[in-house]
Amino acid sequence: MTGVVWLLRRFVASVAIIFAVVTLVFILIHVAPGDPCVGSEEGGPQDPAMCPLLIRQFGLDQPVHVQYGRYLVQLVHGNLGYSFSLHRPVSDALTETIPFTLQVAGVALLVDFLLGLWLGIYQALRVNRLPDVVLSNVTLFLYSLPTFWLALVLLLLFAEKVKLFPLGGPSDPILCPVIDSAYCVADRIWHLVLPAFTLGLVGAAGTARFQRAAMLEVAQQDFVRTARAKGLSEQRVVLRHQLRNALLSFITRFGLTLPFLLTGAVLIETIFAWPGMGRLAVNAILTRDHALVTATALIASTLVVSGNLLADILIGIADPRVRVPADGAAGGAGGADAALLTT
Amino acid sequence: MLSAMSGRFRLPLSIGLAGLVAAALSACERRGGCTGSYCGTLIDAAVGEPGTLLPPSTEEIVARDIEEQLFLKLADVGMSTNTVGDEDFQPQLAQRWEWDGPLTLVFHIDPRARWQDGQRVTATDVAFTYDAYNDSAVASPYRPQLKRIASVTPRDSLTAVFRFRERYPEMFYDAVYHMRILPAHLLRPVPRDQWKTAPFGRAPVGDGPYRFVRWQAAQSVELIADSTFFLGRPVIRRLIWRFTPDLGVAVSQVIADQADVREQIVTPENKERLRAAQQIALYPYRGNVYTYLSFNLRANGDTAKPNPIFADREVRRALSMAVDRASLVRSTLGELGKVPPGPMSSLLWIWDPEIRQLPFDTAQAASILNARGWRDHDGDGIRDRGGQPLAFHILVPTTSVLRKQYARLLQEEYRAIGVRVDIDEVENSVVGQRVGTGHYDTAILSRANDPSPSSGIAQSWTRAGFGGSNFGRYYNPEFERLVDRAIAATSRDAARRLWRSAMDLINADAPGVFLYSLENMAAIHNRVENVQLRPDSWAALLRTWRIPSSRLIDRDRVER
Amino acid sequence: MTLGTWLALLVAIILAAEAVRALRHRALGSERWRRFFRHPTAGWGVGILAFLVIVALAAPLIAPFDPDRQLDIVGLKNHPPSWTFLLGTDVLSRDVWSRIVYGARVSLGIGGLGALVAVSVGSLVGAVAGYYRRWVDAVLMRTVDVGLALPRIFILLMAVALWDRLPFWVLVLAIGLTSWFGTGRLVRAEVLSLRERDYVLAARALGAGAGGVIFRHVLPNAAAPIIVSAALGVGNVLLLEASLSFLGIGIRPPTPSWGNMIADGAPSVYTAPWTTVAAGLAISLVVMSLNAVADGLRDALDPHEEGGAT
Repeated sequence: MTGVVWLLRRFVASVAIIFAVVTLVFILIHVAPGDPCVGSEEGGPQDPAMCPLLIRQFGLDQPVHVQYGRYLVQLVHGNLGYSFSLHRPVSDALTETIPFTLQVAGVALLVDFLLGLWLGIYQALRVNRLPDVVLSNVTLFLYSLPTFWLALVLLLLFAEKVKLFPLGGPSDPILCPVIDSAYCVADRIWHLVLPAFTLGLVGAAGTARFQRAAMLEVAQQDFVRTARAKGLSEQRVVLRHQLRNALLSFITRFGLTLPFLLTGAVLIETIFAWPGMGRLAVNAILTRDHALVTATALIASTLVVSGNLLADILIGIADPRVRVPADGAAGGAGGADAALLTT
Repeated sequence: MLSAMSGRFRLPLSIGLAGLVAAALSACERRGGCTGSYCGTLIDAAVGEPGTLLPPSTEEIVARDIEEQLFLKLADVGMSTNTVGDEDFQPQLAQRWEWDGPLTLVFHIDPRARWQDGQRVTATDVAFTYDAYNDSAVASPYRPQLKRIASVTPRDSLTAVFRFRERYPEMFYDAVYHMRILPAHLLRPVPRDQWKTAPFGRAPVGDGPYRFVRWQAAQSVELIADSTFFLGRPVIRRLIWRFTPDLGVAVSQVIADQADVREQIVTPENKERLRAAQQIALYPYRGNVYTYLSFNLRANGDTAKPNPIFADREVRRALSMAVDRASLVRSTLGELGKVPPGPMSSLLWIWDPEIRQLPFDTAQAASILNARGWRDHDGDGIRDRGGQPLAFHILVPTTSVLRKQYARLLQEEYRAIGVRVDIDEVENSVVGQRVGTGHYDTAILSRANDPSPSSGIAQSWTRAGFGGSNFGRYYNPEFERLVDRAIAATSRDAARRLWRSAMDLINADAPGVFLYSLENMAAIHNRVENVQLRPDSWAALLRTWRIPSSRLIDRDRVER
Repeated sequence: MTLGTWLALLVAIILAAEAVRALRHRALGSERWRRFFRHPTAGWGVGILAFLVIVALAAPLIAPFDPDRQLDIVGLKNHPPSWTFLLGTDVLSRDVWSRIVYGARVSLGIGGLGALVAVSVGSLVGAVAGYYRRWVDAVLMRTVDVGLALPRIFILLMAVALWDRLPFWVLVLAIGLTSWFGTGRLVRAEVLSLRERDYVLAARALGAGAGGVIFRHVLPNAAAPIIVSAALGVGNVLLLEASLSFLGIGIRPPTPSWGNMIADGAPSVYTAPWTTVAAGLAISLVVMSLNAVADGLRDALDPHEEGGAT
């Protein structure tokens, strides 16, 4: 089929998936026990007479399908609902938190990509010699760590024992409540280092392992052996031919890893007090904040689906031979990537 | 290393490195130049984040601390926290007052008082405030405290008249302590049932020593001093509350010199960590928080039916006797906590170690349980009666490490006498919702005391608190009679005797296990002088703290 | 630690080493096992896993103390590691080493069972989708897409956090049922390529039913990715359980699991880091071993290498 038709089909399928996810989440959170009448035990709970008022005000006493219909109508009008736990419209809460998550995830991805790729290449060039062996074990260890545990340990070491980095939060509250100068940009980067590095390090270990294996596999192939036989220097052979193919498989993983980073940064955000979307979503679920949960599910699934689509498009552009849909054997989907999806 | 990569990598990497170096260099730039005695930035490492900063709708202690700086009361208690009569009260919004008859109190508002938008504070504001606090649509948790006030009316623009229903020693206290005066002209247009979610609560306008600057969601709230404040310009120029997810992180921030104040350090471990930090001074002060295990005397989820386990007074007494409260406090808090002789913190003047309490006696507890029919009939190690095991759940909020620890300790204490306990750790707001609607077996709850027992104890342990703070629905008519008489008692000695009888009674009824009362200790940067910590509200006198110009550090000098 | 528990520990180590030795012996006669042991880490991985499984099974013999017993809440709170308390005590004066040993049961149990559920469901769905193709395939793969579109931790949070009192097996089931999607895709890809093989066509020509073909011919040959998936899956489930416990919704106290030990130790990590560090290292060790074993298995079972040149 032609590219355009294929793209259209995938697009429609993506929208359908998002729709299904949102419906599922909506039903789940409305069916779950507990209602959003929040109160704090320090000052006494809400007057019980107040709760029915609140419920009626937000139409929570209607049957599920009626609420669902109302929600869809609201969605079409761009209204994502009202968050009980934050006392604000959902869209406000989201627009504030998404940039933070993007910052952390973006830098983490950078770390993952740069460090992982470099490590993988470095190891492949020295395959089975001492540096490779040592690094293989190191990456194996890093890859097996629970990310939040690594975060705790790094926090203990670098923020407490050796006071190199800040303890959390996105910025200096005095000097840079908003980013309005080069200093504030630097300050933000400084606050970003630990959380993004923690998030990216485990990913980088995985990428390194993956890249090493991919490049070693490519090294067996004929065209590389031919080039080597022709007398081209080892380095140029590696970097010209192997890198391109390795990059190809990385692009697939990029599309699949991006959504994970955005919403999988939950625990990192909690530990580093980073006001991002992951932490927001977790709190929303724990406080049974219907509108916020559904909205974050919407955003999360959109990101995942877009990531997949992006990966497919990039692969299609980069290598016209490889027009395999992402659900297939491209780049070890399932095994390796499933491992990344845990934190 | 660079040689191992192709030219493709070298360029972006070099650019990246250069960028970082540039950023580092720009970080050396010195900012701000505030000098003199009215500089200073104080950062408080707060645990949790407020929901709203509108006083009648406030629930969190953090919010109350911030509101102390933004909104004034008519008068405030002094450092002695004496709530009887009016001698120990300091004028705030009210310049002076007088009694116009036994049941009428007249306040004269200071003509210099201004809202931050320039409008004068008038008696209309006072009357409006009373009306709002009393309104069931606002559903303020402070509403029950105002029940002895019959009306508040403005006599003229600067005179407000309070009329009471009856005479009792703490009339003045009730008139001034519970309400923060609100701007009528800004809040009248807001529908009462939407106060909790009103935008005013996210950007409040007050008349206090500090003005609201900004609230960065999930990060911080910033206040700046009002140099024209009529009671004296605050010395410290800026106050910032930084929100942290838990106590450990907050303490770490203070140690790392990223925050100046941590008003409650709670545990001995934190105290050790803070003692090692050079720049910190520790200030002990009387605590106002006590924590207890609340038994739900009604059935879980159905307040009309009695609870199969806890409605039985003897069983409650046995369960109280099975807990070695002193050891638990020693283990978790060391000297930073005390075993309370009843539902009170050491702030309250009725604290009396002579009050009769249930002893720690597992043997007696076991025999009582046997006598009530709770024996281990099926040999599984857990007592049962009529096929039902003696088992219940303890509800604790995830945010409090101390209470979670206590839950586990209690679980073990109860296992030793054949009672099975499961722990439910849920979000703070969910705890509030579940105890408020009676959907719990037991819960470990904390209360912050007002300076007088008359407001807190009555609300938490009498019928007036049903649907309010009396979550377990404890009701003893004799206890209520004693409390009423104690509040109305004319002499301190008479009141003390009555309170003591009331406390003896409530201890004997064991509606809960009163676990610990915190001995507060604040960790404050040692450059701050004139630190005054009023036990009922540590932040009440923040405007009198000073940072001398000789000890200004970088963040103090910033001129934003 | 008493003499008895030291002995039991020693026995466990010896048994594990013996198991590895026996397997290596096997390797002499089998091409596959030789490929497996070509990875030095794979051998270590098997050894460590064997040791931990033995420890988990023999927990009452190896652990010197009852894991839930609070020994002396005033005197032994947060005691540093010593000869009596190998890994120190935690904030409630419980022996950390004993809790690690019993925690192995819970964590490895959840890991194994969860992975079992995930791999079983995934293989079945993948096989059915790959075999029948067309609309069955389309429906099932769209389900997989939906499942992958929402991050696992959110689904689990909603399932576990909203219903307060979930029994253990429901937790395992929930984890398993949210973890099969990747395996499903992998198996489907294998089956798609296998279904055109001669022996499959032959079986179908001879009139074998779909079920028979799937179970007897297709799945066994798709075993390689399934087994590797399973090995990795156990690690994933372990990490997932740790994350859930850290958020406070995993295994309930007082039962020890490595995940909730990290969470319990986190508040005292500055003054008494041994609980958190030990539990985290335990998890890392298991996941590392599983990854190493998976690497070895991947090589050993790789059909491309079966008697063929590249």
